[in-house]
Amino acid sequence: MKVQYSYLKEQFSNPMEVYFEDLRPLIASGEFTFGPFVEAFEKKFASYIGAKHVIGTSNGTDALILSLKSLGLKAGDEVITVPNTFYATVGSIVAIGACPVFVDCNERYQIDAEKIEAAISSKTKAILPVHWAGCSPDIEAVLDIAQKYGLDVVEDACPATGATINGKFAGTFGKVNAFSMHPLKPLNVMGDGGLIATNDDSVAEFIRIYQNHGMVDRDHNSMWGINSRLQPIQAVIASRVLDEIEDSIRARNRNASRLDEGLKQLEGRIQVPLRPQTNREVYQLYQIGAKRREELLPYLISKGIEAKIHYPVPLHLQKAAEELGYKTGDFPVCERQAGEIVTLPAHQYITEEQVDYMVSVMCEFYS
Amino acid sequence: MTSYTISYSALSTEVAQHKAELMSAVEGVLDSGRYILGPEVEGFEHEFAEYCQAKFAFGVSNGTSALHLVLRGIGLVPGDEVITVPNSFIATVSPIALAGAKPVFVDIGDDGNMDPQRLEDAITDRTRAIIPVHLTGRPAKMNDILAIAQKRNLFVLEDAAQAVGASLDGKRVGSWGHAACFSLHPLKNLHAFGDGGMITSQDPDLIALLPRLRNHGLANREQCDFWSFNSRLDSMHAAMLRIQLRYLDEWTEARRKLAFRYNDLLHPYVEVPNEGLGERCVFQTYVIKAERRNELKQYLNEHGVEALIHYETPIHLQPAAKSLGYSASDFPKTMKHVSKILSLPLHSNLSETQQDRVVELISNFYT
Repeated sequence: MKVQYSYLKEQFSNPMEVYFEDLRPLIASGEFTFGPFVEAFEKKFASYIGAKHVIGTSNGTDALILSLKSLGLKAGDEVITVPNTFYATVGSIVAIGACPVFVDCNERYQIDAEKIEAAISSKTKAILPVHWAGCSPDIEAVLDIAQKYGLDVVEDACPATGATINGKFAGTFGKVNAFSMHPLKPLNVMGDGGLIATNDDSVAEFIRIYQNHGMVDRDHNSMWGINSRLQPIQAVIASRVLDEIEDSIRARNRNASRLDEGLKQLEGRIQVPLRPQTNREVYQLYQIGAKRREELLPYLISKGIEAKIHYPVPLHLQKAAEELGYKTGDFPVCERQAGEIVTLPAHQYITEEQVDYMVSVMCEFYS
Repeated sequence: MTSYTISYSALSTEVAQHKAELMSAVEGVLDSGRYILGPEVEGFEHEFAEYCQAKFAFGVSNGTSALHLVLRGIGLVPGDEVITVPNSFIATVSPIALAGAKPVFVDIGDDGNMDPQRLEDAITDRTRAIIPVHLTGRPAKMNDILAIAQKRNLFVLEDAAQAVGASLDGKRVGSWGHAACFSLHPLKNLHAFGDGGMITSQDPDLIALLPRLRNHGLANREQCDFWSFNSRLDSMHAAMLRIQLRYLDEWTEARRKLAFRYNDLLHPYVEVPNEGLGERCVFQTYVIKAERRNELKQYLNEHGVEALIHYETPIHLQPAAKSLGYSASDFPKTMKHVSKILSLPLHSNLSETQQDRVVELISNFYT
């Protein structure tokens, strides 16, 4: 049996005509820069997650950069985040001239809120918690600490569109928050796209100017800005995907629960992270810890299961991080997990049979 | 909003003529499941490099991002200076500031592009790069600019955002400098159906860096060499651009024909954009220089012709440039130039009858 990691063919080319139909009015209008299709989608997404302002961007990285930039951070300011994330979390901090400071993660692969305070210095300006793997950190604890020290919170909700904590959506807790619509994210498009959510009027106003060359109108620009716009084609696609997101989140949860349940018998060899009752996770990655991971991975692949590792080298040990001066041993939980984590396909197109097959192959491996 | 009988732009009929071909290119991408980089982007990069007579080409998010990535790639440090012209779109300059360097302006010549004779005076020991702009699709005086750059060991980045296909002495823009940047914005001669940009380069160091610069600094999925950005041309756009590139010369010839027809008919009334010796202009905008320009613009607008100004306020006088300390008396040629320029409708939908109407109005205005 084949268990594929990517679901894009199933999602977008079977049948693709529905998307082409949606695109027809856009193509007829010729509105390929900003315009009504982007605005309509921004409003629709704002209403879905319950945010006052939603702003489309070129991609999730830019959404993070624009969010951090809107806080007015300057060179030397510190932003706290985790070393087990995608490169762009840290890239965005560096892009605006600030300095990333890492805090270890917990056994749920999320920022360990108990370790944040020790990382706060006089230069700390913001905390950037990641909803890693489409699951959520203890956001209330993060917000409490931020409030105590007068720091801003920017959620990296790039992997977690649709995730909720006590019914409130990921990306609505921080001052300004970023989402990715990369093809392998829960709300995805046929290329790159990103979103920002905020309830702060002045943050939204700044971002809308900064993302469009700093222009206040066609002839005047109030600051040097960038070009980072959600493409109308992608906004139209995203609008349809958003209509279906609750179904795909349900399917992902069904698959994840069945995997969790099936893997219980491998306790001691497979570690399934805790799933807090308060959270609805969206499983952008279904990630678990595995003993003998280096043997398990090729075994799974040989059995047709396209398992992956996100990611084998923590960010503080990347070449890019050399200047930050971290070393092996600084973040023991993250470093141990880097040698154990495995991502199994659990997306909305995975069937119960495929889930059961994955469980049986895992059992075979450990027997 | 005014509705014009002769509008400034129209997404081209040529594109409509090739709709079936374009759609099947998109279908190919959707079926492949590769929406980020991959074979379509690589194929387009290869063909675009060949078209521009350049060594390499790289697809990025947009033209602004293209300039930004190159300037990041050459490792500017605060205090470094980059020389360009004040009469361009704002995005020529913002990437200089965002990359941490200081924009320095030089005045233009009669051709509306950088005046090489003034270039040497602007060079200091902090100068690192020169950005000549091929504004309106007219090639800048690259022979002279390169000779000066070579003598002073400076990096030359062509801003070819408006000039794909333009050439000087038979050598295309994008092949002259160490690197060049192109925009694929919907209003460009070669365009994406959304945002897109290209970088061409002959510089081995930059060529080695660019694939990582545009993709999070990643050498591969697991190794991050330096923190960087996400700036990628969507595969879907690339697939459609490959089709359009085949027809670009044909489309450009049609534009040139219309432009020269305007020149023939308008030269008694206004200064028309004649081609200089060795130049092949692509007329991304058709810009005349007119006495009583503001009145003429208003007259044309009132009579249903959408005439525009590119660009009314020169960059050194924008609020964003305030800290650079320039004043209105600094670039007399630019100031005179921008007070006279007017862009007339020139696009593939423009009929000779419409063109005659524009000419008639201009003739009426002056007699």
